[in-house]
Amino acid sequence: MPQPNLLTPPASIPPATALALSQKAPPILSKSPTSSLPWPLSLLLSTETPATWTIHENLFFAALRTGDDASARKVLDRLTSRFGADNERIVTLRGVYEEALAQNEAELQKIFEDYEKILREDPTNFAVRKRRVAVLKSLGRTNDAITALTVLLENSPTDAEAWAELSDLYARQGAWGQAVYCMEEVLLVMPNAWSAHAQVATLHYQSAHTNSPPSVSALSTSLRHFSRALELNSSYLRGFYGLKLASKALIPLLSDAPMSNSAKKRAAENGDDDDVPPPKLQTVKRLEELATEKLAEIVRNYNAGKKGWTGYQEVEVLAAKELLDKDGKVER
Amino acid sequence: MAFGGAALNIIGALFLAHAIYSAHEHTTTFPTSPLPLDITIELLVSVLLLSTGIVFSSPALKPIQWAQWSGKISREGQQPEAGKKTREGEQILGDGDMFAFLGLDGYGEGRRGFWDVRGKRKEYVGWVKAGGRA
Repeated sequence: MPQPNLLTPPASIPPATALALSQKAPPILSKSPTSSLPWPLSLLLSTETPATWTIHENLFFAALRTGDDASARKVLDRLTSRFGADNERIVTLRGVYEEALAQNEAELQKIFEDYEKILREDPTNFAVRKRRVAVLKSLGRTNDAITALTVLLENSPTDAEAWAELSDLYARQGAWGQAVYCMEEVLLVMPNAWSAHAQVATLHYQSAHTNSPPSVSALSTSLRHFSRALELNSSYLRGFYGLKLASKALIPLLSDAPMSNSAKKRAAENGDDDDVPPPKLQTVKRLEELATEKLAEIVRNYNAGKKGWTGYQEVEVLAAKELLDKDGKVER
Repeated sequence: MAFGGAALNIIGALFLAHAIYSAHEHTTTFPTSPLPLDITIELLVSVLLLSTGIVFSSPALKPIQWAQWSGKISREGQQPEAGKKTREGEQILGDGDMFAFLGLDGYGEGRRGFWDVRGKRKEYVGWVKAGGRA
């Protein structure tokens, strides 16, 4: 278990870690990083570094989520006096603070209207636009959130974070086509993102299972994207997990109906998206073996606490172990 | 290996200092005669020792292939860089998953820009009510 760190908060923050993070507030708040002296002297005596403000911001989020509103307020005041109340980022942080303290939907609605007012004055404040979407989501108005996000993305089509959020919203509604489209936009901006490839693969996998029997083309696309994720990250647990699931689903489909050459040709002709023929049964089988082997290696080394193998999330390793156990230990 | 490297560096530096001192003394006492062979050998050996020591005491090389590099991050997690801390006492960490901000790995914190503060607060209150155990 790594030390809770405010400069680079861990990838996942369970409540216990959040508490540990927010308990760092008193020592940080006790001494001021800026100096109260007049201008030329303050430059000499201030102790601030760029890291100072990152730490303050993360402390603000940790304090808010653990209900330590007094500390959050102090951090916010400190940031406001340093950067000014009109700073885009400060405006957003203030919004987050108010959202957290809103007691009911009516107050949340009022915050939403405040955001609208800010955006009328300065429509280029993208951080506030994103907060607006978050409020809509938290009010349960998913369709409005989607509309707001599409407008945002029309103005800023290279915002990968917003594309990912939109994809997530579509996927929650079961609109797989749109969700996949949004994730592919993320890939256009960041073609090396292994998690984005795995997410595209996951969406294809989920959409394949909405039909019965699952569609071969969606499953093979999923298999391909999982493989690409693994090409980009040689020890990606989620990638191997998905590769195993996708290949396991694909093997019976491929062996049941070995596509005749004419059927293959037809699929190639009418398919707009899936013009690549499905992979060979042999290849899929070998991929499944590879995934099983790698998953077993990860689970074994993680559970043994071997040095250099402890970076995985415990939940993910448990899930992988479950998948392997369900599969039977014969293969290993 | 770092310890052996440091030892080699110290020995090498001592020999180098000694060789330089000897060369200086020799040239001031006998300005016309050539440098004796033992001083030359000592100098060369000390430089060799120092170079080896520097190579051994340098930190491990980072992977230069993308898949190896990202795989290392996945396997090991984000590790603190030895001895580096900010003024607030927070450790400075090495490379981490640079795509974590996309919030696509389900367990993660999600996207910071769309941070669901109310949901997170509810989760925390639930955790406290349940007795504060993970």
